Amino acid sequence: MTELATTVADDKPLVQAAQEGDMVAYEQLVARHRDKIYARAYSMMRNEDDAVDLSQEAWVKGWQRLKQFQGEASFATWMTRIVINLCLDQLRRQKRHRAESIEVMEEESGGVERHMPVVTVNPTERLERAELRQRIDQALGQLSEAHRTVLVLCEFEEMEYKEIAKTMNCSIGTVMSRLFYARRKMAGLLADLKKSE
Amino acid sequence: MNAEFQLKLQAHFDGELSGPEAQEVEAALASDVEARALLAELRNTCGALAGFESEIKLPEAREFYWSKIQREIQRQEQGQPVRPTPLPWWRRFLLPSGAFAAVAIAGLLAAHQIGWLSGGARAPQVEIFLADSGAMTYRDELERTTVVWFSYPGENEFADATADDTIQ
Repeated sequence: MTELATTVADDKPLVQAAQEGDMVAYEQLVARHRDKIYARAYSMMRNEDDAVDLSQEAWVKGWQRLKQFQGEASFATWMTRIVINLCLDQLRRQKRHRAESIEVMEEESGGVERHMPVVTVNPTERLERAELRQRIDQALGQLSEAHRTVLVLCEFEEMEYKEIAKTMNCSIGTVMSRLFYARRKMAGLLADLKKSE
Repeated sequence: MNAEFQLKLQAHFDGELSGPEAQEVEAALASDVEARALLAELRNTCGALAGFESEIKLPEAREFYWSKIQREIQRQEQGQPVRPTPLPWWRRFLLPSGAFAAVAIAGLLAAHQIGWLSGGARAPQVEIFLADSGAMTYRDELERTTVVWFSYPGENEFADATADDTIQ
């Protein structure tokens, strides 16, 4: 049995108990998946405090909506969708207070990423895990929120284009374009970081 | 390689193409070095990102993190309006009956006090002085007698808790 299948099977009795109002069971579910939920919030928000707050809010919402959880997806996936939606709401609220980033405007008008030279050498080859993490962290931090979000949903959440478009409330074409830009920008940033060593 | 093909190549990489479109990209990859290089770049970037999130750990202690969630759940549950449970039919009947009975008893007592039910003779009065809720006065006008009860002998200067003649 795979690790994922084991977790799903182990979650089931805890989820059932929590659905009947057992808060101790819910606490165990939180303990089991809190790092994953926090990590998703952090990837999207790039801020520890926001990520902690939003992940906690997600757990509160999870408890309130627990009766709606039918088990079509795993409990962790269901919780991840809740935290993603909360992060997107927060990003939209933040966006109202400032203008759209230049990057998004460039990308949506057929920006520079199409003409960037292809990075032929793998810039993360032979890197230690900690160093790799630090480098990716830096590169992700340099992406706009829209590009980072599409990358997170595709790479980490493994969502299909259609699903990403629905979640982000945009067209599939925009998803494809943003994703392409985000990946190319990441490749360029990782290569630059290697060169600057 | 035009922009449309670049996006098509990416869609192929993500498993979003099927049938003739996928075959078209495969054919282009076989002959186009630039397309192969772009595909390799996409693979490297996605490979670097794989497993990245598993390295991110929550910076707070488990108990502290959970206690905030628990407090918020309890706060929201207490804040929700409690839906009243419907009363059974016999209780719905008893409520107005009880109120009617209370009014009737009060009326009877009042009539008794003013002498309607005792042939004009005034009944003895029982008074409670609100200024001292621990004391009760009984006055019988016919007998011209007044009796006062104190409910706190230990604190009363006129009463002695140990005395046998203390009325309690």
